[in-house]
Amino acid sequence: MAERLITDIGGQPEGEVPRQEVPQLFWEKHMIAMFGVLWNKGVFNLDEFRRMVEQTPPEEYKHSTFYGRRVDGMAKLLIEKGIVDEKQLAARTQKIVAAGTRDHFG
Amino acid sequence: MWPPERAIISAETAQSFALGERVRIVDLDKPGHVRTPTYVRGKVGVIDTCCGNFENPENRAYGRVGRERIPLYRVRLSQRDLWPDYQGSDKDSLVLEIYQHWLRPA
Repeated sequence: MAERLITDIGGQPEGEVPRQEVPQLFWEKHMIAMFGVLWNKGVFNLDEFRRMVEQTPPEEYKHSTFYGRRVDGMAKLLIEKGIVDEKQLAARTQKIVAAGTRDHFG
Repeated sequence: MWPPERAIISAETAQSFALGERVRIVDLDKPGHVRTPTYVRGKVGVIDTCCGNFENPENRAYGRVGRERIPLYRVRLSQRDLWPDYQGSDKDSLVLEIYQHWLRPA
């Protein structure tokens, strides 16, 4: 059998599902908006996007969030397609993380 | 690469199964992005809906768009067949969408 995808969890014991509401961060809303634009304009298709999310290394996947995996998946797709420069993106990301301005509600 | 290649092949694969036909979902042991979850592989169900032809997501996931269109079906499986300890009614079922190349007559 081919290696089971990290997202292929149907029928596996998983424990309780947390039911509390989680407030949405500003960048998470941007992620959804960005996804809509890139998908609707045909920059990538849904199957490519799913492939990228599934390719998250298992260790990283465990510690990642719903929006985090998706924003990383989109970034990797744009790098793969030569639309975004990996080094530029890393530098810009580092700058934002260092400034401490990434996580806020808005 | 961007922009993606378009419409190389537009062949249509003929439909092999009819409404109500019994089918087995096979395990193609295929790595990469596939849309047949592990927990239904090897199970027998019934064709519930013939959904028409669509491009294969296993190709689209790698940017290969505009290729052959293959039949997609909704397959109805009994919950009893899926879960050995299922306590609900034997009329309870699950319907999921499976592409033709994952199906064999049963």
